[in-house]
Amino acid sequence: MMNKTVVIGLGNPLLTDEGIGVCLVEELAKLEFPGVVFHDLGTSCARVLHAIAGMEKAVFIDCAFMGEAPGVIRSFTPDDVKSVKKLGHFSLHEGDLLGTIELSSRLGECPKELLIFGIQPLDLSQGQSLSPLLAGKLEEYIKVISAELNRTY
Amino acid sequence: MSKKINIEARHITRVEGHGTIIVKAEDGILQQVEWQVPEAPRFFEAMLRGRSWQDVQSLVSRVCGICSISHSLAAIKGIEAAMNIQVSEQTRKFRLLAHYSEYLQSHILHIGYLVAPDLLGAKSVVPLVETHFDVVKTVIKLHRIANAWSDLLAGRTTHPITFKPGGFSKFPSEAELKELKTTLENIVPDLEAVAGVILSLAGKIPNFQRDTEYVALVEPGAYPFYDGRIASTDTQDTVAVSEFESVVNEYVVGQSTAKWARWHRDSYAVGALARFNLNSGYLLPMAAKTAKMFGLDSKCTNPYMNTIAQLVEVVQIVESSLQLIEELLTAGIKQETLKVTPQAGVGVGCVEAPRGILFHRYAFDEHGNCTSANLSIPTNQNHGNIQKDLEALVPQILDRSQDEIRLLLEMLVRAYDPCISCSTHFLDVKFV
Repeated sequence: MMNKTVVIGLGNPLLTDEGIGVCLVEELAKLEFPGVVFHDLGTSCARVLHAIAGMEKAVFIDCAFMGEAPGVIRSFTPDDVKSVKKLGHFSLHEGDLLGTIELSSRLGECPKELLIFGIQPLDLSQGQSLSPLLAGKLEEYIKVISAELNRTY
Repeated sequence: MSKKINIEARHITRVEGHGTIIVKAEDGILQQVEWQVPEAPRFFEAMLRGRSWQDVQSLVSRVCGICSISHSLAAIKGIEAAMNIQVSEQTRKFRLLAHYSEYLQSHILHIGYLVAPDLLGAKSVVPLVETHFDVVKTVIKLHRIANAWSDLLAGRTTHPITFKPGGFSKFPSEAELKELKTTLENIVPDLEAVAGVILSLAGKIPNFQRDTEYVALVEPGAYPFYDGRIASTDTQDTVAVSEFESVVNEYVVGQSTAKWARWHRDSYAVGALARFNLNSGYLLPMAAKTAKMFGLDSKCTNPYMNTIAQLVEVVQIVESSLQLIEELLTAGIKQETLKVTPQAGVGVGCVEAPRGILFHRYAFDEHGNCTSANLSIPTNQNHGNIQKDLEALVPQILDRSQDEIRLLLEMLVRAYDPCISCSTHFLDVKFV
């Protein structure tokens, strides 16, 4: 079966809750979702461009500042939000998911369906494990995202 | 009326990492020209001490997210030299094939994403989608193919997992190699298209010459990326890679957190133009034809032409890869057993990374634990030469507007394709 959906975990697992996307994509990849491929793409938005090209649906999981209480998970589409992140355009080390999605659209290779799961962080200090708050909610997050992936197929 | 030039181009854009150009002049009198590198060191050499030989490659791969294959190859070659490990011809060929995938990734990224906007008058590649859709699409296609090629050989796009001292943990299948061969055959027209576009813009490449010492690997009868001896355009003598410290002569300057290097002169240059100037006689036919299209010859001393030398190398590595795949398929892929007994020793690993010659030296104790490491990175070797170029170029263009001067200087630095964060060992992390 051809993979039609790509699930991408984003973030830096060396910065506590910034690694929530990577952690969740690792956990989800252990479960059975036919037609779904999982990628840990770290902080590389350049690779996001390649990973989503030609897919029908892309789901992103990332730590996000959404003005919610720490630990809250929300799903939204790129059209639902406006980026307030300031970019310097310094180099490819800099990541901007929404900008990458826009570039993909302009190239005519963006999936029709896009969904972002944002998780409001508690702690972004240096550290290789999630904060106890987010670690305690992993099952809830997996349930919410699994429901979405199962809904598709 | 007095004319003042005051340029402080802090954190110039479209390079990897952070560097600053300072120029101050008044009434045509130059007061200050400096190429500054303000990034913090990353201390990889210190991190390696005490670590097992089995951890070295995966650690040093993280020096760079673009040339992680080069760092990995330099590391495993250094370990093999220290522990007297021999590898098969098949392994050597697969490593070279992996190395080439990194060249396509890195050079296309530089030519297409970082330099093309200068030639097309844009701030970045993104607005070019509207004005030069076909070019951007082709560049992205080539980059995507390069990534998939690295996935196949190295186990993933960046930070290889199949490379091991002594060989590979996994070889591609013959079917996968055949598929790669077809893909590479099919991208030849794309390479010609990119070369055609760059050629149409070649008039925008500044014409600046400065007599320079170029340093790269040489190997009899070859245009080498993986093996050879160290050569310079200043001398007929070559130096064994195990003696690389006598070439790089690293030293510290106040304006830079990155070390500088000098050999026969105050500075030298490494990278595509250095390789080209020392080895262009051994280019394969399509690559030689591409060089001729641009009038690039082995006496070129225009640093801006480094980008064109990269383009020539892209063609070279695709041609060379097609030959390599044919040889591997003809011989048939043989499974190999990895068996390494760690032992005490000192060894140097050297490869040509896309940005220039790269050296790793390691010492191990009898348990195979690293007791010292010294990594000498291409961009470090270029910093002094960038400074010398700036000193020679700025007086020639002082009559231009400040904006023009700034652009020409930024383009000069970009032409070197510097990987500043690697050269100073910096972890560049952006919060999302």
